[in-house]
Amino acid sequence: MSVAELKERHLAAAETVNSLKDRLKQKRLLLLDTDVAGYARSQGQTRVSFGPTDLVCCRTLQGHTGKVLFESQVYSLDWTPERNRIVSASQDGRLIVWNALTSQKTHAIKLPCAWVMTCAFSPSGQSVACGGLDSMCSIFNLNSQTDKDGNLPVSRMLSGHKGYVSSCQYVPDEDTHLITASGDQTCVLWDITTGLRTVSINGSNSRMFISGSCDSTVRLWDTRVASRASRTFHGHEGDVNSVKFFPDGYRFGTGSDDGTCRLFDIRTGHQLQEYNQQHVDNEAPHVTSIAFSTSGRLLFAGYTNGDCYVWDTLLAEKIRYAAQFQPVCPVNRLYWTWENFKILTVVGSAVWDCLLMVVPYVQEVGTQTSRSGLLEGIEESTEVGDRFLWKMSVVISPSKFLDFVCPSYGL
Amino acid sequence: MVASKSNDSSLPPPQPRSPPQFPDLYGKRRELARVQMLQREIGFLDEELKSLESIPPASRSCKEVVDFVTGNVDPLIPTIKKTRRSRRFWKWLCGVCCFDVSWICCCGCSCDLSMPRCCDCLTCNSCSNPCQNCGIPACQCFPCFSSKCFKKWKCSLKCRSSCCCMPKHSCCMPKHSCCPTCSCTRCTCYPKCPNLNICSCCHKSCCFPCYYCM
Repeated sequence: MSVAELKERHLAAAETVNSLKDRLKQKRLLLLDTDVAGYARSQGQTRVSFGPTDLVCCRTLQGHTGKVLFESQVYSLDWTPERNRIVSASQDGRLIVWNALTSQKTHAIKLPCAWVMTCAFSPSGQSVACGGLDSMCSIFNLNSQTDKDGNLPVSRMLSGHKGYVSSCQYVPDEDTHLITASGDQTCVLWDITTGLRTVSINGSNSRMFISGSCDSTVRLWDTRVASRASRTFHGHEGDVNSVKFFPDGYRFGTGSDDGTCRLFDIRTGHQLQEYNQQHVDNEAPHVTSIAFSTSGRLLFAGYTNGDCYVWDTLLAEKIRYAAQFQPVCPVNRLYWTWENFKILTVVGSAVWDCLLMVVPYVQEVGTQTSRSGLLEGIEESTEVGDRFLWKMSVVISPSKFLDFVCPSYGL
Repeated sequence: MVASKSNDSSLPPPQPRSPPQFPDLYGKRRELARVQMLQREIGFLDEELKSLESIPPASRSCKEVVDFVTGNVDPLIPTIKKTRRSRRFWKWLCGVCCFDVSWICCCGCSCDLSMPRCCDCLTCNSCSNPCQNCGIPACQCFPCFSSKCFKKWKCSLKCRSSCCCMPKHSCCMPKHSCCPTCSCTRCTCYPKCPNLNICSCCHKSCCFPCYYCM
């Protein structure tokens, strides 16, 4: 067969695929007699309501830093199964392990490659894994001895992917097996002890996992069958950034660049619900990550504009604005005021790798008539207790700052 | 040697030829691989289409989701609604048909029932009828838990007890005739004393040093 004939066949096959996909879509639509919200309302379900003190932030874990503010975002985090420790990864090149109850950092692991995109805790809590733009998955044993520089050594490097590692997760209850997802369009199940890829595990347990892709689909996989996905889920219109199993194990949720979260059924393939923020313009913020509460009633969704909403999964309504995080961008000018006749003090100083930012130290000077002013050169302002921490983009000598803040005191 | 000349003028003149083209095996293999992948996908899509004939509609899965969620407690969702005690009481009272509630509750309860108006008059220091200041029968307000009269009523029940172990509340402290000007609430004025002392905490003259000021 000639290349020309093959190209013709290719075109014909592509048309057949598109036509079959359309027929599938139409047939599925006929089976979508209701969605979760419609059914829940028909059953008289009422909305979950929160009082002002019912869902509040109890801890903020701060510790990741970065050369430039945009790179200090936390890219990924994972909990231990006991829910008492967290590992977080940031492109400041570190994995931090936190005690979730006390907020203390127990490990700060310097990574061989700073461009980390994902991290995971092992089921036993003894190891953490991470992966990123180096196309490798690195494993660290938290109990091993640090080297002479005080760094935790890598205990195993899993190499083989031909593209970035965007996601990694341990197989439940198995410290020796890990699944990674990559920009090379593959997922790999690893045997950590040998460092080899494997797709055959205990045949008596059917291990399923789901992967979300930049091709807008989500695929369900059986780890015993590498050659094809068990099912492909269509519906999203943009990259699928986050996938999470629903607590019952028969459904899963997704978050996408199309700004929606969706709930799919594994056994039938149906899209059961869409969680869509209505936006006037088409600039809906992308969903970056999702999580379900233990009953599945609440769906937490984080968006690229820094919002985090709580959705009622049954009624498909937003019930709470959980938090807002400032999009990371420098603030050059800040309008500040004195409150309660006290000058707001500034604590300490921060020295960064590339940019020397000196936060002047000002003592609390007591009462003063209230006034306000404009201070230029402030990169970012955060509240620390009852004080403000200003990160300056220019170097300001303490005396110059003091002159500005309290001229009448001649400090 | 005589060279023979060809007299065949029908043949085209010889022309230089292009070099033979190598077969594009890589392109062909790549194209073949693409076709095979698409054919494989066609197979999967056909399978999926067939399977849809036996798949139940979405409503069944929706029911499973709702049943699962409603059957599980969520630690993040408040389950106990904080109803005020008075509201619970009045809801019970609503069921008692013989009780005529025609007053509007002053307690700020948001229930739909009418409740007796409570006497919170400060001068109402007993549960006798009626309160001299506001004229409302003081004893009718005892069901309202937040009213001062209720508290006093409860207090008076305890204080009337003959048991010496029952705590006596300040509202039940008897005022003795020997200290008419004493308005110190802590002043016990007991036992009777012949002398008059100035109680520093209340700045009133008292027949006995205020226990709390000693």
